[in-house]
Amino acid sequence: MVTKTEDNQLNRLENQVDNGGGEAWEYLCLVRKLKLRRSEKVLRHGLSILNDPKKRSSLGPDEWTLYEQVVVAAMDCQHLDVAKDCIKVLQKRFPESKRVGRLEAMLLEAKGLWDEAEKAYTSFLEDNPVDQIIHKRRVAMAKAQGNISGAIERLNKYLEIFMADHDAWRELAELYVSLQMYKQAAFCYEELIISQPTLPLFHLAYADVLYTLGGLENLQTAKKYYASTIDLTGGKNTRALFGICLCTSAISQLTKGKSKEDKDKSQVQSLAVKVLEKDYKQRAPDKLPQVTTALKGLTLSS
Amino acid sequence: MGSEFRYEITQNAYIKLVLHSLKHRTSAVNGILIGRVSSNDVVEIADAVPLFHSGLGLLPQLEISLILIEEHFSAKGLNIVGYFHANERSDDYALGGVAKNVGDHICRYFPQAATLLLDNKKLEALKTSKEHGPVMQLYTRDASKNWKLVRSDGNPTFTFKEPAANVVLLDYISSEKWTDVVDFDDHLDDISKDWLNPGLFN
Repeated sequence: MVTKTEDNQLNRLENQVDNGGGEAWEYLCLVRKLKLRRSEKVLRHGLSILNDPKKRSSLGPDEWTLYEQVVVAAMDCQHLDVAKDCIKVLQKRFPESKRVGRLEAMLLEAKGLWDEAEKAYTSFLEDNPVDQIIHKRRVAMAKAQGNISGAIERLNKYLEIFMADHDAWRELAELYVSLQMYKQAAFCYEELIISQPTLPLFHLAYADVLYTLGGLENLQTAKKYYASTIDLTGGKNTRALFGICLCTSAISQLTKGKSKEDKDKSQVQSLAVKVLEKDYKQRAPDKLPQVTTALKGLTLSS
Repeated sequence: MGSEFRYEITQNAYIKLVLHSLKHRTSAVNGILIGRVSSNDVVEIADAVPLFHSGLGLLPQLEISLILIEEHFSAKGLNIVGYFHANERSDDYALGGVAKNVGDHICRYFPQAATLLLDNKKLEALKTSKEHGPVMQLYTRDASKNWKLVRSDGNPTFTFKEPAANVVLLDYISSEKWTDVVDFDDHLDDISKDWLNPGLFN
């Protein structure tokens, strides 16, 4: 995950490089380190270094890393000729390399030659069954062909081997949500919360999925996880604050005031309402009237 | 039901939606259409609000944004009249489950609601050919409440209010205006970002 400082540093560098202010290499390194997808910029600024022999040779062995980075960016931007040329340079330098072989297979993917790419990946996996990147490529390939259930199947297989890969669990959860398979998505977020209990992001996502599922029990659990999100963020998460209000309203519509805990619940809600109104007053005062009316509507219906 | 109605979209609403899709090229995005029914069975799409670029299938953020959007526009005599969706993959031309469900939800309050799906092929072709119509497909619900693609043969059902909208859109694309679009996702992450995008066309 990208921290605020890293984000600021990235934006500063990006601005500077875009305006011809130098430090292109530093920018490209940061993009790589943070694993960001800035393909257009990487392609433009990467090529400007590679096409300048003086700049290129000043990188030393990092030159090849840059070639690899530019290949992937070029494919993402559909500049397949550029990708092909860069791969050729790498092949010449590292004739037997699997890492270059992987780029070749990715080029097949980019051209839409799915069967050939699949063959290449399968043979890589025969040599090394626990190659994480190849497994992930196969998931991405199924996704790119619109075969979401195939991607889910492959991702599940991958997670049997690499259970601790949080990004993969998140990807799986998001795939399930896109197919509206909310129960399965909830399971993924449970896994993520167990392995990283202090990350508010997963508490929030879990609550969102449970609210979407609906039903009294899910709504009550959702409300608890919105509350823990608020707790973990020091009251700074707008989505969770709204979530509390939505849950309270939906729960009391289902119980019609039968529940004894109603009083206690409305307390949590009125606290959330207060914080939201205060935030809007400070940071978006022109939106305050509609937020107040909307929240009142939710309270009345509860 | 929907077939007797015609749909007309203003330049600003149209451009806002396309720019939102261009800002998040690698993910599915959606948006809400705002407008009214004019006297001669025309649904006028006067404005649009970009909604999300993540978690499109999740209910809480959708409910909150719909409440706030309705609150804002009803004061101006405008309603929610439809839904816009752009698929994650550029070669995906199917109206998916999430899009249909949101469309159905809007139909409960506005039966003639339109669902618009971004047409990537037409969007790509904008630069080279002279595409005169919107780069979106129109879906409406038939009598059995299924979403059907409305084909525009001869007498188009879905048109621009301002005929030069695509020219203006190209202009905005070439100046990378899409970086400025704010959606509801951005607003919920930082409420000082305004989902009305007041400065976008200045």
